[in-house]
Amino acid sequence: MERRDFLKISAIAGATAALEGCGNPDHQLIRFVPEEDLLPGIATWKPSICTQCPAGCGMMVRVMQGEAEVIRKGQLGLLKMGLAKKLEGNPAHPISQGKLCPRGQAGLQVTYHPDRIKNPLVREGARGSGQFKEIGWDDAIKQLASQLSTLHTSNPPGGLAFVTGPLRGQRKTILDAFTTSFQGSYAVGAAFLDDSVARAANGASFGHAAPGTVDLANSNYVLSFGADFLGTWNSPVAQNVGFGHMRKGRPGMRGKFVQFEPRISQTGASADEFVAVQPGAEGVLALAIAHVVIAEKRKPLASAGHAGSLIDGWAQGLPDYAPEKVAAQTGVKAETIARIAREAASHDPAVAIIGDSATAQTNGYFNALAVNALNALLGSVGKPGGILFGAGLNAQASKSGPASLELFASQVSSGAAPVKVLLVYNANPIFSAPTAWGVRAALDKIPFIASFASFMDETALLADLILPDSSPLESWLDDVPPSGSAKFVMSVAPPAMAPLHDTRSAPDVLLDVAQRIGGDLAKALPWKTYDEAIQAAFAALYKEKGSKTAKDADEFWSRAKDQGGWWTDEPSATANGASGGRPIKASAAQFDGEASQYPFHFLPFASQLFYDGSLANLPWMQEAPDPLSTVMWGTWLEINPRTAQKLNIQRGDLVEVSSPHGKLQAPALIAPGVAPDVVAMPIGQGHESYTRYASGRGANPISILAPATVEGTGALAWAATRVKLSAVGRSAMILFGGSLTEASPELKHR
Amino acid sequence: MAHQWGMVIDLDRCTGCEACVVACHAENNISTVGEDQARRSRAKHWIRVERYYEGEFPDVQVKFMPVLCQQCDAAPCEPVCPTFASYHTSEGLNGQIYNRCIGTRYCANACPYVVRYFNFFNPVWDKPLNLQLNPDVSVREVGVMEKCTFCVQRIKAGEIKAEAEKRELKDGEIQPACVQSCAPRAMVFGDLNDPESEVSRLANSGRATKLLAELGTRPKVTYLQRDAWHGHENA
Amino acid sequence: MATKTPEQITEDLMRPMWGLSGRYVLAVAFLAGVVVAALCAFMWQVYAGLGVSGLRTPVFWGFYITDFVFWIGLSHAGTLISAILRLANATWRRPVTRCAEVITVFALSIGATFPIIHLGRPWLAFWLFPYPSERGLWPNIRSPLLWDFFAINTYLISSVTFLLLPMIPDFALIRDRANGWKQKVYGALSLGWTGTPRQWHRLETAMHIMAIAVIPVAVSVHSIVSWDFAMAPVPMWHSTIFAPYFVAGAIFSGIAALILAMALLRKFLHLEDYLLPIHFENLGKLLLVMSLLWFYFVFAERLTAWYGNETGEMPVFWTTQHGTYAGLFWLMVFCNFLIPVPILAIKKFRTILGTALASFTVVIGMWLERFLIIVPSLSHKYLTYSWGTYRPTWVEITITAGTFCAMALLYMIFSKVVPLISIWELKAGLHAAPHTPRVVVEPSEAGAD
Repeated sequence: MERRDFLKISAIAGATAALEGCGNPDHQLIRFVPEEDLLPGIATWKPSICTQCPAGCGMMVRVMQGEAEVIRKGQLGLLKMGLAKKLEGNPAHPISQGKLCPRGQAGLQVTYHPDRIKNPLVREGARGSGQFKEIGWDDAIKQLASQLSTLHTSNPPGGLAFVTGPLRGQRKTILDAFTTSFQGSYAVGAAFLDDSVARAANGASFGHAAPGTVDLANSNYVLSFGADFLGTWNSPVAQNVGFGHMRKGRPGMRGKFVQFEPRISQTGASADEFVAVQPGAEGVLALAIAHVVIAEKRKPLASAGHAGSLIDGWAQGLPDYAPEKVAAQTGVKAETIARIAREAASHDPAVAIIGDSATAQTNGYFNALAVNALNALLGSVGKPGGILFGAGLNAQASKSGPASLELFASQVSSGAAPVKVLLVYNANPIFSAPTAWGVRAALDKIPFIASFASFMDETALLADLILPDSSPLESWLDDVPPSGSAKFVMSVAPPAMAPLHDTRSAPDVLLDVAQRIGGDLAKALPWKTYDEAIQAAFAALYKEKGSKTAKDADEFWSRAKDQGGWWTDEPSATANGASGGRPIKASAAQFDGEASQYPFHFLPFASQLFYDGSLANLPWMQEAPDPLSTVMWGTWLEINPRTAQKLNIQRGDLVEVSSPHGKLQAPALIAPGVAPDVVAMPIGQGHESYTRYASGRGANPISILAPATVEGTGALAWAATRVKLSAVGRSAMILFGGSLTEASPELKHR
Repeated sequence: MAHQWGMVIDLDRCTGCEACVVACHAENNISTVGEDQARRSRAKHWIRVERYYEGEFPDVQVKFMPVLCQQCDAAPCEPVCPTFASYHTSEGLNGQIYNRCIGTRYCANACPYVVRYFNFFNPVWDKPLNLQLNPDVSVREVGVMEKCTFCVQRIKAGEIKAEAEKRELKDGEIQPACVQSCAPRAMVFGDLNDPESEVSRLANSGRATKLLAELGTRPKVTYLQRDAWHGHENA
Repeated sequence: MATKTPEQITEDLMRPMWGLSGRYVLAVAFLAGVVVAALCAFMWQVYAGLGVSGLRTPVFWGFYITDFVFWIGLSHAGTLISAILRLANATWRRPVTRCAEVITVFALSIGATFPIIHLGRPWLAFWLFPYPSERGLWPNIRSPLLWDFFAINTYLISSVTFLLLPMIPDFALIRDRANGWKQKVYGALSLGWTGTPRQWHRLETAMHIMAIAVIPVAVSVHSIVSWDFAMAPVPMWHSTIFAPYFVAGAIFSGIAALILAMALLRKFLHLEDYLLPIHFENLGKLLLVMSLLWFYFVFAERLTAWYGNETGEMPVFWTTQHGTYAGLFWLMVFCNFLIPVPILAIKKFRTILGTALASFTVVIGMWLERFLIIVPSLSHKYLTYSWGTYRPTWVEITITAGTFCAMALLYMIFSKVVPLISIWELKAGLHAAPHTPRVVVEPSEAGAD
């Protein structure tokens, strides 16, 4: 042979022999033929959609060639494949506008998580024991299909339930098709944070049961009642972009921002003025501001239209809401209320936002109606700088919301709802429901639970069959974000990379099952794979809206896939002067627990890093310091400095927090921003099971919440619980920056 | 003229969201150190968001300030490194050459901004988190100092691309990961030698300050102080 | 005290070198055990990473640099005292000089290991050597660490020379009394010494030159070590007083170490006839002066800091005054000043036991002083958000303990190899040399020269 070949072969043989000697495992793995054609070292950018929170930001994914250990056809081997390396906002996407929040950036860790469920599992031991056996997909889908087929043809019909997170786009279509086809079935929403109260209020006030989009970029005066709109509320990235522009994007103009809440949130930190308000009194405060605006004739009270008429006393100019009358109830000085009212009314456009704890009180619906009325009064509805409702977005709002998890759990437990098969998708109801709802007991009654979970969380542990969903970056994605842009937006993204593990996209599985079940369900979902479903949606969109650039549906679809979706300017809908609805009297917020026994308002808040707890499994999120507390890898209870002093609690003291419905322990953090009679705790930790990074870490504030509801809706009033505290010992928190709120001896002399 | 890279951070826009912190970890192959090591103050947040409280409830104010390597023109970390691992580049960056670092940690002591981080252990990525690693950035080994580089890999890539396309770099074309992800657009990056660049323009703003300027480090990060509302009540 | 004959002197001073007592073996075994433990701790650190220590952001220097400065500082007394006393012709120095020079060499050697121990990548420590790397890069001469490298190496070489030179006649003495391999080894070490007047003249000249040369070297070494701190913009490090402050502190700790060493030697090697109360008295007076000097420097520095009220400096000031580090600070003041000064100032207490006790507290106090210079400042730099704490781990404590035991161990081994009191110099005090007046070893005539 040629000398060159001889040397080459000897070199390879020698190297292999040497490597064998080194114990290099790589050479023992076979190499699969690459499935895609990528140049090493050259990056390609693919559009995608962030799914870390419901905002639906459009992303770009940087994909580069790398080598991964994957399983193909049941065999482990090495594959040169495109790997997602970095996520950025899609500059063209109207929601993200090229930006991402920290949660979005961390999306990569979902795909590459070491504790992902890598193949279908079937339960082996007792339910909840965590003992599972790996099975193949054929087997798994057969099992699921057979369970559902039985139900489909059972007489009397019924017995199917879905518990999901917020679903939109064709995923919602698939869900709806199932619930329509399976009579008597349930579609239950299990997201802890949702906008149902806002939708209900907006529907009543403006005729648009949708969250609306706040046009911060063009606003001059922002009144936020409890909404953490720069952190976790609604569409944070879009709101951050708008906020930056409001501040310094318009030469010579700088909008003012006032935050009303009982605890200065991350958003409140950026406010020009933080006004501490009594929990539950946000609606009254909004009406007091409206009172001043009306009384001083800065805006005619009729401009509030239907929204105003929903408030009892509006026509008379809200006499009960004079600032002096409500100062005690709201905790805000009369002159402050009056001054802010004057400022807001004289700096158009002014807009009011309400969210988070303000709508999570028993009177949250009233609070939202009050703020809506104020908005209408200030003339901000449907105008730049105010709240915009896109006409097309109503399509998403028209269908009724998901059933309440609380109601579902109680009906299942009582036997009123004989659920036989439960499908859990994008939800962790055991974690995100108060213990008082008895979700665990309800699940125990359901004979068959199938989950599409990617991680072994508390709910997945109870499943009988797990069909692990591929990660978002490995899946076809589509979305119709309900908020964040005045434009109509429909996003689509092909998978940015091939699946690392033996997982399948949940919609694909459901479509497969639908075909096997046949009948009307198969007809309603005539697609083999999910991308066909999305394409159908785009075809329908093309038909409805047309396009300036695409000449036919195929080109429309192709362009949409390339750029991450399709968007168009849309005239914003005006407030509909819908008829009906009696004026609502102010209701004071009710709190569960006697004030004498439970002296503190318990305020859970969405964590900037863990959101509602679903991101606690990501190490970047555990290690990023919480913006206000700087805590890493931990949980904490925020206590006002004077309160702590009175109770003789120091930073790090382990405190037992008891509500009438449960107790938990958390280390105390002295927080200057929290009211003296409020204690606050981030949501997100306290997972019993949620991968190595989150399991057994911290405490879950949701667990001890009272089963209070927001009147007028079925939503959980998660800010309506009262608690008592007792110190139980010492604990150590990890603070990246240290809390400077206690004057260390070194600081005392500065 | 050679570029002089600089940054402006507008504290009136920054909302403390920490997208910059996570983006930096993702871009620069910074490992998480885990609970135990984080407790020992060894987390490596090349950019961190400092949070300061002022006042007592209810008159509380919170201030956020992202702090990263200031790429000082008179960097105290440069003269003290015995092996020239910390040195000043021709484009105004404080370069950190991992291969030359023997880990005396003098630079970290000398840095008044505490923006230099040490690899106390070999970094660990639980597989397959390592698949996310950016091939354009070295992975540092134990005993080596690391810090923000203004995403020098992006700067280099941008310069190479512009040269290959035989054109000048456009202002804003190169963005470090933190700048790119910042939703309120609080962070701006660019060439201070270009008087037309946005960073030059903003650095001359009336609100411009530099962190610890009195120490004579001549940092290249300019902070725009938080502004106040200038509106007034219509009588 | 009876006058000793030269033969008696030789006999007495060489006796410790013969034989191994049970007590000796036990002591060596214990000390060696701790040193081995320290070596294991270091190897573990190299293997696992510096993370096994207590270092962290922002306190990147802790025990190791404390030990470094401490041991380099301790090394000052030896050579400096020996050189100064030689030049001043203080006759009482004779039994003291070699003990002192040995302390210097060993302390310096131990101290010089710490720049390697504390490195993140110690296997690359040789990059500090001035040679052009494959990229044509020399080390950074602007770095105080490079100055350390040169200064310490220079000092080490000069101290070894300064130690070995006067040992030559004693090596010859041993050679003349030994057999077999010992004769060969000592023969080689004595460099063919026969005691001719010409050789004596050369020796005295060489030592005279070295005595003069080593003083600026010693002063520069600890000034340079102090500049490791003073050159950095760290609150209460960036102080112009550091160089003289450190040099004074070094001499202070060195004298204390010397006194301690002498007290122990006197007891265990039965050198009561040679290490006399007058020696301890004189060294005790020197120690007193240094204690007062130390206090002066510390007071001047702290008064200036406090009066200046600079934002960056005050947290560091207060944390040592009555904050986290207050306990250690006041302990240090006790050990360095409040205990030694009364003992050393009052003649009744200035006994061997008294000075030894004072020296012991000074050694502790000076170690604490190094720690308190390094850690509180690093814990409280300019940005309050990044303040931190420091607590050593078993690795640092073991290595620190190992160095103390290594010092003792080296000393003990040395005592078996070389007479710890310079025999010929002692005798030279008895015999009149052409250029020196006659001297007798009598306690009551201390400082007769």
